[in-house]
Amino acid sequence: MNYAKFFELAKQRGIAESQIQVTKSRAVSIDLFHHDIENYTITDGQSVVACGIYNGKFGSARTERLDASTFDHLINQIIKAASHSEKPDAQPLFQGSEKYHKKNVYCPELAAIPLEKKLADLREFENEVYAQDSRVVEVEAGYSEREASFEFYNSHGLKLKQKRNFFLFGVYAVANDGKEAKTNYEVAFGADYSAVDFKALAKKAVDGAVAKFGGESIKSKKYPTVLRYDIAAAFVDAFLSSAVADEVQRHSSLLEGKLGQKVASSKLTIEERPLTKNIFFSYFDDEGVASYNKTVVKNGVLQTYFYNRETAAKDGVESTGNGMWEGSRIGTGYSNIYVKPGKADFATLIAPIKDGVYITDIAGLGTGMNARSGDFSCQAEGFHIVDGKLAEPLTLITLSGNLLKMFGDLKGFADNLTLTSGGTQIADCYIKSMNIGGK
Amino acid sequence: MISNSLAIEVLNRALATGGDYAEIYLEQTDSESVLLDNGKVEAVGSRQAFGAGIRILQGYRCVYGYTSDLSKKSLLTLAGELSASFSGERLIEVTSMKKGKYKKINHVETHLLDVPLEERIAYVRECYEVTKAVDTRLVRIQDSLAFAHKTIRIFNAEGPVATRFDAEEERGRLVMVAIAAGENNSIESAFEGPGASTGWEYFKTLDYKQRAKEVGEKAIALLTAKECPSGQYTVVIHNGWGGVLFHEACGHPLEASATSKGLSVFSGKIGEQIASPLVSAWDDGTIPNAWGSNDIDSEGVPSQKNELIRDGICVGYMVDRLSGRRLNMAPNGTARRESYKYAPTSRMSNTYIAAGKDNPEDIIKDTKLGIYVANFGGGSVEPTTGQFNFSASEAYIIRDGKLAEMVKGCTLIGTGQEVLLNIDRVGNDLALGQGNCGAASGSIAVNVGQPTIRLSKITVGGRGGELK
Repeated sequence: MNYAKFFELAKQRGIAESQIQVTKSRAVSIDLFHHDIENYTITDGQSVVACGIYNGKFGSARTERLDASTFDHLINQIIKAASHSEKPDAQPLFQGSEKYHKKNVYCPELAAIPLEKKLADLREFENEVYAQDSRVVEVEAGYSEREASFEFYNSHGLKLKQKRNFFLFGVYAVANDGKEAKTNYEVAFGADYSAVDFKALAKKAVDGAVAKFGGESIKSKKYPTVLRYDIAAAFVDAFLSSAVADEVQRHSSLLEGKLGQKVASSKLTIEERPLTKNIFFSYFDDEGVASYNKTVVKNGVLQTYFYNRETAAKDGVESTGNGMWEGSRIGTGYSNIYVKPGKADFATLIAPIKDGVYITDIAGLGTGMNARSGDFSCQAEGFHIVDGKLAEPLTLITLSGNLLKMFGDLKGFADNLTLTSGGTQIADCYIKSMNIGGK
Repeated sequence: MISNSLAIEVLNRALATGGDYAEIYLEQTDSESVLLDNGKVEAVGSRQAFGAGIRILQGYRCVYGYTSDLSKKSLLTLAGELSASFSGERLIEVTSMKKGKYKKINHVETHLLDVPLEERIAYVRECYEVTKAVDTRLVRIQDSLAFAHKTIRIFNAEGPVATRFDAEEERGRLVMVAIAAGENNSIESAFEGPGASTGWEYFKTLDYKQRAKEVGEKAIALLTAKECPSGQYTVVIHNGWGGVLFHEACGHPLEASATSKGLSVFSGKIGEQIASPLVSAWDDGTIPNAWGSNDIDSEGVPSQKNELIRDGICVGYMVDRLSGRRLNMAPNGTARRESYKYAPTSRMSNTYIAAGKDNPEDIIKDTKLGIYVANFGGGSVEPTTGQFNFSASEAYIIRDGKLAEMVKGCTLIGTGQEVLLNIDRVGNDLALGQGNCGAASGSIAVNVGQPTIRLSKITVGGRGGELK
């Protein structure tokens, strides 16, 4: 596409400044069921999002239709949106940061491995999962890979590009002991294909399912609670959504007025590290601002909010490079979250707990979490902790609480720092007391 | 969109290696939304989805691909890449095309995107004014109106004569969010989201001012609500959106994508009792202009009214073409997808528990101690184990047959198998509520529904200790 032409056409129609971003992606996925390929999918996607300033107001439009009509359509929609905007006049589009920390995270080795080899590995992996335990009755094993390129241009001459690729092996194991079915889902992902330990992944998937046999509910009360790393990540994510400056400025954040104050136990330190070289790496945001690593919570004290250019201007600070499209406006987002781990291993972490719970699965947090009030309630599964050791499995229990209270009650993290598929590096987390609902 | 002759060429390329069914799904969706934040136009959004999905079946195997490039070269390349995953002899040569017929279910008088933006903004602003007037503690009110018009063309072939379907879908939804701030930095929010598969006429007749008032009142009431107790209790669930219980606990496990593979608690249960004899349930894609209704499904099969449970006995599933092959059952108009980016699979449309005989007031009156759930935020289910959860956004304690204090932070959990058997009262006040359901083939519009029902026992999670 001729982007210079877009900027020229936009200017002719009265759009003083404009920006255009193009995403192209190609993905392949294969799902096996009963040793046969059940689904094979090839996708080829492209999309464009454009925005501009018209009569001082901001407008935007998106399309997946790239043909002779594209530029006219985008320009018409930008003018329509800007003409009806009742926001204060928009600030000029970004001229560019002084320095960008560009890294190449595209992995040509992954792209070079033939799909036949990946399919053969997937088949072997499926067999490995079945072989783990005679009670495994169904396995859904899948492989997917995706590569995507992102291009950013604006009428000030700012041009930024990045490209990434990654793969994901996923397995859903169903075990049945004749009385009940139990399931577990595990993934391995990244850009380094050689790092996948198929045997370990198969074992983890099956162990996770069979360990749930005979699970029961537990008496409703408050328990010392340990959250597995991926569960802890879901709560950290909900907590961080309140650190978005836009929510704070509109009085709908539980972290309003808390900058520089203690918002959690001193054991909690959260950083955003967008420049970490992994598949979540990003060196510029959706406004073209350079990304940089930052501490958000240090020893329980809130250090900064996440800003885009608009919210930063309101607070008289610089953008933190967190501008991210949210529908038709540039909102705020974050990636590559790092939560400082502790030094104890899991056994040491739970050793002092006489009567507690270890949560390994949750469901329903999406609707059960009110991130604005911090109140949450969701379905959970896990294990009873008795006299410092894991005991019987627990099922059909609920976990409820409030984010501020929960992170205030944080006693510490284990040492098993793990990168989740959502892009958070975090370890198992011990909370002094949480509400568990059961019998 | 592409011509019949190019479609035949693409279908033949797709079927070259032994596929026994091929399909091209073409889509253009134009969406526009208006978002007001505290009564001011924050954003006018415009989005255009455009592309084609090609699917080939061979027995139980499915290959799928999509592209946004609808040129002849691109479509033939994709069909070729997909067919390369099979290695058989050609079974089908498509030679001609016929027009697919179906009955129109949804009727539109005034197309949503033809309504002037100014008129839409004025409508949404009216909602804001009504909500704002409720209480000064409402610190943030977000109102949005989103419209989408989808043009679909499906070509499919199982033999030498392919079929072409041309269809349109149009949906609009009003979403209102009220956020209230109280003492001690407490913040609560409430939500309303009515919508339909229809034109502007729906919004003109909608009781939007009443809904706007209620969303504000609900957010304010939550400021002083007590924490929900936890334990096992009798629970009465309000009609309409309360049907999310059935949607999660029973609807998903009755989708053929799960039942056909032995991955559902209801696999092989047709003819068996899976619910209380008081329960009969339907998935009905033919309700005119309902939020979950379409004229045809994503495979070109006309929508149907499908009976799922009759007097507690499982009598049917929602069946898509591929899963139907495993079950030896015909597809019944329930194959749906969010867009060309997803292969279709069995999904719900308007799914509900049929009306019973009880007067809703009597159900509450006959409950000594329990919880009344007036509204839900949503929920999820694991179809293989049947374990589900849903969170209540509005709930009250029932004491001595009367509604007492409001409670917040309430989650209900259980298994589909158990909860359906524990329904001991069914009201006569069936109503539907609008939601979006996310699953394998993306996020789609669904109605959930039920009359007021009572569960004799279910696990409730909250922070309020024991119910006394």
